[in-house]
Amino acid sequence: MNRFKLEKKLSYIVLTFIGFLFILPLLWVILASIDANAKQALTIPSEFTLDNFTAILSDPATIRSFIIGLFISLGQSILVVAVGGLAAYPLSRYALKYKKPFMLTILFMTSLPITAVMVPVYQLFMFLNLQDSLVATTLFLTASGLPYGIWMLKNFMDAVPLELEESAWVDGASIWTCLRKVVAPLMIPGICTVGIFTFSMSWGNFFVPYILIQSPDKFPASVTIYQFFGTYGMVEYGKLAAFSLVYTMPAVILYLFSQKFMSQGFSFGGATKG
Amino acid sequence: MNTASRAITLRSIFFLLPSWILLLIFFIGPILLTFYFSFTDLALTGAQAQQMAFVGFDNFIEMFQDPNFRISVTKTILFLFISAIIGQQVLGFLLAYLMKEKNTTFRRIIGIVVIAGWVTPEIVVAFCWVAFLNDSGTLNAILQSFGLETITWLYTFPLISVCVANIWHGTAFSMLVFQASLDDVPKTIEEAAMIDGASKLQILIRIILPTVKGSIVTNMILVTLQTLGVFTLIYAMTGGGPGTSTQTLPIFMYNQAFVNYQLGYGTAISLVLLLIGVIASLFYIRSMKVQI
Amino acid sequence: MDRNIGKKVLLAGLLILLILFTAACSNSDSDAGSTDKENDPKKAKNNELTITFRSGGSTNQGLINWLNDMVIPKFNEENPEVNVQLSPLEVSEGDYFAKVALLLQSEDTAPDIVTEDTFMVNSDASAGYLEALDDRIESWDGWDKVTDTVKKGVIAEDGNIYGVPYNTDTRGLWYNKELLADAGVSVPWEPKNWDDIINAAKAVKETFGDDVVPMWMNSGKATGEATSMQTFEMLLYGTDDPLYDYEEEKWIVKSDGLVDAFKFIDTIYEEGLGPNLSQVLNGQGSSIAYQQLMPEGKLAIGLDGMWQTGNWHENGSAPWPEFEDKLGFAAMPTQDGNDPGTTSMSGGWALSIPAKSDNKDLAWEFIKMASTPEMNLELQLNDRNISPYKEVAENPKYQELPFFEEATSFLENTNFRPAVDKYPNVSTVIQSLVEQVVTDAISPEEAAEQYKVQVTEIVGADKIMEK
Repeated sequence: MNRFKLEKKLSYIVLTFIGFLFILPLLWVILASIDANAKQALTIPSEFTLDNFTAILSDPATIRSFIIGLFISLGQSILVVAVGGLAAYPLSRYALKYKKPFMLTILFMTSLPITAVMVPVYQLFMFLNLQDSLVATTLFLTASGLPYGIWMLKNFMDAVPLELEESAWVDGASIWTCLRKVVAPLMIPGICTVGIFTFSMSWGNFFVPYILIQSPDKFPASVTIYQFFGTYGMVEYGKLAAFSLVYTMPAVILYLFSQKFMSQGFSFGGATKG
Repeated sequence: MNTASRAITLRSIFFLLPSWILLLIFFIGPILLTFYFSFTDLALTGAQAQQMAFVGFDNFIEMFQDPNFRISVTKTILFLFISAIIGQQVLGFLLAYLMKEKNTTFRRIIGIVVIAGWVTPEIVVAFCWVAFLNDSGTLNAILQSFGLETITWLYTFPLISVCVANIWHGTAFSMLVFQASLDDVPKTIEEAAMIDGASKLQILIRIILPTVKGSIVTNMILVTLQTLGVFTLIYAMTGGGPGTSTQTLPIFMYNQAFVNYQLGYGTAISLVLLLIGVIASLFYIRSMKVQI
Repeated sequence: MDRNIGKKVLLAGLLILLILFTAACSNSDSDAGSTDKENDPKKAKNNELTITFRSGGSTNQGLINWLNDMVIPKFNEENPEVNVQLSPLEVSEGDYFAKVALLLQSEDTAPDIVTEDTFMVNSDASAGYLEALDDRIESWDGWDKVTDTVKKGVIAEDGNIYGVPYNTDTRGLWYNKELLADAGVSVPWEPKNWDDIINAAKAVKETFGDDVVPMWMNSGKATGEATSMQTFEMLLYGTDDPLYDYEEEKWIVKSDGLVDAFKFIDTIYEEGLGPNLSQVLNGQGSSIAYQQLMPEGKLAIGLDGMWQTGNWHENGSAPWPEFEDKLGFAAMPTQDGNDPGTTSMSGGWALSIPAKSDNKDLAWEFIKMASTPEMNLELQLNDRNISPYKEVAENPKYQELPFFEEATSFLENTNFRPAVDKYPNVSTVIQSLVEQVVTDAISPEEAAEQYKVQVTEIVGADKIMEK
């Protein structure tokens, strides 16, 4: 029995240690953001202040970049769920002729790092005259998240029993009502998983807007934060840390909001148990 | 031909249409263009920006003669291997495994701490780590307090630095995946083995690992693909440097296209990046034995 | 039967939607940024004029002050209804030119005036990004006042003029008199060859140890053109082998000069005479060196441009009243003191009108107003660069500016970058190789070898020669 106790203690120690290592880089951001004289090194603030946050949040340019960022990332998440959900319905419910090649293509596309090959994407935007358009950028990001979204949502939808829907039909509900009132509520875990996954992939993405958006006043927060790196010579660490924290918040809120549904999402909607 | 099945076909088309339009324009479109432009000498500035010409396989010949391309492939593989396949997977599994059957509060705290790294936006992750590893950053402050010499981490160990940052950012994903799949390991078998006197290690190797094999493979592919596309983190932390020491393929592509103004060449590198994705994808589909 | 109809419907539907969708998307540009419509410079009605330049940190602070305090108010006197918008790009020097190229490609994003480094003018002009100004210049009396050598920088290979220069420059060695004197180097310092520089740096290192950076040269990709020009070319043009042979019209891809220039850079870092890599490879390296270290007396020698004085005057971003007494500005010697003994590089910036600007006439009016000797004098008083106007050069106010005598004298032996297509690409090769040498990834010899391979790839095998 002693052996197990030791093992148990050891694993607690290891976990605590790993946890400590994980929190270290973040600790600095948190402390520096409320420090009036923030430096690069981790120190307990000698003087607490909220000035850094006030400075960030009272700057209209910063607010604008946050709104633009939210427009892109939330827009993308909602579109992936909506468009992906629509596509998932017939794929889940009907025995379609070309379903198999269809799903294989989707699965295949899931793996292509499309947001990494920005050169041809940029050329496409030039060709279609879409450069500098926030809507088009959102749509591109939507497409990049769609294969994964469709795949996941289809798997989640498979788990929603058809009987429920049939009884709704009997009651005279249209297919739309059915989708909205019967299927969607049962799929909340899947929707949350896909939504937050999509959101977190694009929220911190600097590359895509940096290449596709040209006007400085259309840059989302992921690009404007880069100005702090640039002005490294005389950085105001406190403000930078405050900016980072504010910037992290939407992702945290979204995560907390959907956390309880997530664990089901991470078994890949049963996709791994093949 | 009954009207019901026609209605179903039409409805299916209608439902699938929006996603296929989006995928056609913004997913398949760029891929087709990749093939097209990688055989041209299109440039960002200079005469070739106006009149590009088809140059056949020139870009690819140049690529395979370019020592920087070989370096980039090596760096990409190292980055993938260290940060994704080894780092995130092993650490994620370790965390999930150790957290099994632990005190709920403790489990939750560790979980939140690890997940904090995951929900932190990539660009902020980069910034956190630049600050953490800097000359006068937290890590060096700790080293100094132990009387050790400080190290310019981002310049002395650049690749390791970006790998560690990526592990920090990505491990939570693997951890959550493995937590979900470890829940599926039947408790009774584990207990029976324990009574038979099997050690923890034996149980892990003989019982747990085979059960979660599917998750490991799937997770590995997903993590590989996410890591393959990492640009923001490396660009913001090191810009691919110093020299070429963290120049992975996405960074190399960016440099060729948008710093050296050679869009055609950059596109050819994109094609290689896509090909790696294709290979991983085929492997993914095979290993999953997909049921559709 | 059913299937066929389905297919046809699918195809037709897809096609129609594809067309509709693309059309809708293209038009969606305007409502894309609905949150910031009013501030959106591209939706310029004809009374908006946007000017793009590089900023970030304190980059171009002199230019910004000059535009805000002098040119725009004067312009608004005559054109009160015009709203002049500054639209700076906060990127590193290395990213600026690519970002400008991206901006200039479309009518939606092109500003009305852009500041162009003269080495990009040829390239951007042949890409069709810039408007030829010949017709406008013909009916303008200001052009004759511009110095002829500076004019060359804005004339592209097609013979047309693509910008109006607002400054030119020279480069040399900034040094802290006290530090050098304490290290036993005689002041005023007049290095006769490269060894003198290295010996002075070594002396500083011996005297001050880690407290003082002996020698600073831009050495990274992030500092972009500054690495090519202020460092590599300042060295290379002190050897007998330039980058380009104008007679043969060929790039020199193999020469002793190339190897020696890389070797010099390597020596500085090998011997620990340079700054920390984390400082010098940074995009803002120049601010660190000349706004922090030099005023704090922690940098002994810096190879850089004369515009650095713009940091230190009373309206600069790092005012330093004593700089005139504390510093010296020495001419860069040639490798072995070979003729003509000293060397320098000159470039400069110009105001250009993008081909896709929607307000070219107004932009031209603005440029004309900004490009007078009187206005230019004001700029130089702020920005501290060499004026492209003869008249300004003769103005006592200008001549009295600290270090202008030295800086102007460097013009005598100065060199210009090859004004040929592909120089920008060659320059990025140089930057990358210098950074690799500095970080010890490759040896100077390997760098010279790779230079040959990569430049050949860029310019073509028929346009290279060896020496």
